[in-house]
Amino acid sequence: METLTHILNGFAVCLQPINLWYTFLGVLMGTVIGVLPGIGPSAGIALLIPITYGMDPTSALIMLAGIYYGAKYGGSTTAILIRTPGEAASVMTSIDGYEMARKGRAGAALAVSAIGSFIAGTIGVVGLTLFALPLTSMALKFGPAEYFTLMLFAMTAVSTLTGNSPAKGVFATILGLMIATIGIDLQSGQARFTMDIPEFQDGVGFVVVVVGLFAMAEVFRGLEDLYRGTAPKAMKITGKLWLTREEWQRSVGPIWRGGIIGFVIGVLPGAGGTIASIMSYTTERRISKHPEEFGKGAIEGVAGPESANNSDTAGALVPLLTLGVPGGGATAVMLGAFIMYGVQPGPLLFQNRPDLVWGLIDSMYVGNVMLLILNLPLVGLFVRLLYIPSGILYPLIVTISAIGAYAINGSTVDLWLILFFGVVGYVFDKIDIPVAPLVLALVLGGIMEQSFRQAMTISGGDIKVFYGSVITVTLLIMSAISVAMPFILPRLKAMRDKGDGN
Amino acid sequence: MADRIIFVCMLILAGVYFWATSQIPSLELGDPLGPKAFPQLLGIGLLVAAGMLLMEIIKKPKAKPAVPTAETDPAKRPHHGVVAAVAGWTAFYVLIFEPLGYVIASSIYLLALTAYFNRGRWVTNVLTSVLFSAGSYFAFTHLLGVSLARGILPF
Repeated sequence: METLTHILNGFAVCLQPINLWYTFLGVLMGTVIGVLPGIGPSAGIALLIPITYGMDPTSALIMLAGIYYGAKYGGSTTAILIRTPGEAASVMTSIDGYEMARKGRAGAALAVSAIGSFIAGTIGVVGLTLFALPLTSMALKFGPAEYFTLMLFAMTAVSTLTGNSPAKGVFATILGLMIATIGIDLQSGQARFTMDIPEFQDGVGFVVVVVGLFAMAEVFRGLEDLYRGTAPKAMKITGKLWLTREEWQRSVGPIWRGGIIGFVIGVLPGAGGTIASIMSYTTERRISKHPEEFGKGAIEGVAGPESANNSDTAGALVPLLTLGVPGGGATAVMLGAFIMYGVQPGPLLFQNRPDLVWGLIDSMYVGNVMLLILNLPLVGLFVRLLYIPSGILYPLIVTISAIGAYAINGSTVDLWLILFFGVVGYVFDKIDIPVAPLVLALVLGGIMEQSFRQAMTISGGDIKVFYGSVITVTLLIMSAISVAMPFILPRLKAMRDKGDGN
Repeated sequence: MADRIIFVCMLILAGVYFWATSQIPSLELGDPLGPKAFPQLLGIGLLVAAGMLLMEIIKKPKAKPAVPTAETDPAKRPHHGVVAAVAGWTAFYVLIFEPLGYVIASSIYLLALTAYFNRGRWVTNVLTSVLFSAGSYFAFTHLLGVSLARGILPF
């Protein structure tokens, strides 16, 4: 009963005119960021943190969350019209979406992604509303050792599930943790790895790392494409922005299944929107009566994945809000934002600031309605963004990144850092090292070391504390499985293939 | 080949990190671990990652035909020169950012990049560079209260 009161009070918070305005700003910027190649949700959120510094945390977080889920809506527009996902998770949408556009059904493809995103996004928020409280009551029993093993699990899952090489994923994670150790050690007051640069005493801010790795690196890649002449061209919207009865009947099932797949995958650490949309696509192709149409403009191939990658965002917020531990790159940036506003997500937040948590969650119901309007009748406006010449767009992204980085401390050290991490991000992309694990590790690194040392202090230096409870043992086993999976799965598959052959 | 270079870099980095960790002065007061323990764990973790990579290098089948790679596919061939030039020009932007101020430095930076990558459209490029720099400066400093480098301009 008390919960219901909190949920309803959340609506009272998010329906305040000021918060409606920030929800609108957030989803609008999210759509723009999603449509534009170059700045993704991670860099977009990171860039806004220093600018929104003085704002009320509730309003600021409502806006940043709007960018996060809004970007997924915008990403599909780019995927359908230029076959380049505006945002990584839209990659599956670009296959059949672009084929539909080529056949003159761009309007239907855009409509089904907006409607599917809306239905699935709402499924996701309902899931978030229902699952948040049971999880927080479990999380209240967590001590430092449990938190350490939970973060260990999140990191191993992310590092072995993103990218093609588990070794490189682990490398990226360790690099992120190493960058997190730069600065003054909070417990002993010792400066570590500061290389005698005074600005490094406070550590390397995650904002500059994220902006460098995501925005700057994308500028380098984009300008390289432009020089090479392989930059894609945008298609015109053709056909009515609505579905025929037959198209709608074919889409309903994929939207529901995609919405549920996306939410479940989103809750789990590591997998994320890209894997959710791939799973939805393969599911739809397998159960379809006409699988041969997939890849040639099947509407199910747009409806399913696009729904999955939208409910994934709400799912990904579950561990972030209830446990305070994000399961991927973008939610790690969200955690960084929470911390910078002095808000620590986790079970205690639900007890101490129910207005903030439920205001944020409820604002997502409202935001999804706004996004449906922005992305259906008004999609033509956003498509115009695709006609901005890349030769102008990419240089502007550098300037915007410079504003965001300089706004943090008013120091050019941060500008050098975004340039440095931009080059790192560009090189890592070429040699196939994923950057999402690095960002997650960087944000979690400080908390992870603290909980490690607190657990050791409590136990008097006895390592047994990490395998002393059911929760820690379970999490350690899950971490071990996620490390071993990439090695075991191919063998299992090989064995099964052999069995089929006989 | 690239993987082997990464492997060597990982070993070098682990070495440097272990050395830097040993340089941290430690005063163990009430903290059984001190500031060095966690970094040491990370150094070991890096060596583990290097070991995993070595296994992947050994296991990977040598020839992978039919998949276009950076060497064979012209659409994927890298142009490191362009990237290096853009990075160099951005470094110059950082250098002049504070001495000249945000508005002038950004105008110069944007003008050169758009002149090269959006060739021939002079009016658009000049207008975008100057108006965006000046507009964003006023928006951020006056409306949002974010301070940007003023430089040699009086406002």
